[in-house]
Amino acid sequence: MSTGASMAPPMPTLLVIPTGIGCDQGGYAGDALPAARLLAAASGCLITHPNVMNGAALYWSDPRIQYVEGSALNRFATGALGLRPVRRQRLGLLLDGGMEPELRQRHLQVVDGCRATLGLEIGPVITTDTPLGVHLSQGASGASWGQLERPDALLRAGEQLLAQGATAIAVVARFPEDPESEALAAYRQGSGVDGLAGAEAVISHLLSSHLGIPCAHAPALSPLPLDPGLDPRAAGEELGYTFLPCVLVGLSRAPQLVPLEGASSAVLADPQLLAREQLGAVVAPAGALGGEAVLACAELGVPLITVANPCLLDVTAAALGLEAIAASSYAEAAGFVLALREGLSPAALRRPFPRLFAPGMV
Amino acid sequence: MRLEPLELRLLRQGGPLLDQVRQALAAHGRPLRWAITAVEPSSEGSVLVVEAVVVVEDA
Repeated sequence: MSTGASMAPPMPTLLVIPTGIGCDQGGYAGDALPAARLLAAASGCLITHPNVMNGAALYWSDPRIQYVEGSALNRFATGALGLRPVRRQRLGLLLDGGMEPELRQRHLQVVDGCRATLGLEIGPVITTDTPLGVHLSQGASGASWGQLERPDALLRAGEQLLAQGATAIAVVARFPEDPESEALAAYRQGSGVDGLAGAEAVISHLLSSHLGIPCAHAPALSPLPLDPGLDPRAAGEELGYTFLPCVLVGLSRAPQLVPLEGASSAVLADPQLLAREQLGAVVAPAGALGGEAVLACAELGVPLITVANPCLLDVTAAALGLEAIAASSYAEAAGFVLALREGLSPAALRRPFPRLFAPGMV
Repeated sequence: MRLEPLELRLLRQGGPLLDQVRQALAAHGRPLRWAITAVEPSSEGSVLVVEAVVVVEDA
């Protein structure tokens, strides 16, 4: 039986599904993971971010998927960073000093569970010297955003973890709660925006861009009362007491972030190094193309595959003047990725198929 | 250091978008996270609506 020896070499592909904008697919608890797995199989190498991969208690580890936090993903796409796959990371855990003792204990038990059951290397653990003071907010578009009262405390704790040998950091911040809020009810029913996501992204962007190592965030919250009408896409967040397992698993093999400015020729010649010039495609929701990574790739000429994935925004290829290959689903997008990987023009797969020149023009 | 939320409305200029947005944000601080969240028509051309959080270093 063939083992796929005739398959084309991997084609690094970037998958972006922005967080906190209510994407129908990818706007909940890691519910874009099936799409990511399919795109990883189609491309042989998928680079994507925690919002796509994190399902709280649920996760999937695939050596073809590179787990890269959003700000690092942007820096990769703009050419500031390369990515070097690693066998494992030594995970530091950064806990918000504002967490109640019981909630803190729950998170430490997740760490022990991941050490014992998954064999992850976790530690050191640092608690911030003052509560981080997370606030949630919403932009005019309805996208979720957030703030930190004490970003300095976050960075101090991160620097201590780095000094103690951590090569990647999982952050757990105490998030404000409003279990009666209409927005939370809508989210749990599958029709709302993840109100926590924007603040989570701000925290991980700040820490990762400051330290230059992989970082990702899990919010600390009290368990919610049972909701019999819970949407399946949000269910991953209600299986346990914390959102931490997926973050630890994702970070455990997150690629090393390699600054490219001033890098030696030996670093640049490393055959393991992934650089943006190797990207063969970028895949993003059709209405959410206004982020740094997608714009950088489009300006570089990386083929842009847009997917019909309704969200709050309507920032389309037409609105921005970008060329794009439109897919009606992630399954179709995976077909286009496979076509590009095989050297086929996606246009050849569509009908009607236009002439290159109108009759009489040659 | 503090984090500032921001909303900008930029009249789109010719050329690549990325530099236009980055330069506009840099006037307010170090861009931490941003996105174009709407593109609106105006009598002078397209307006880019940008939502962002920037880092402002205390003097």
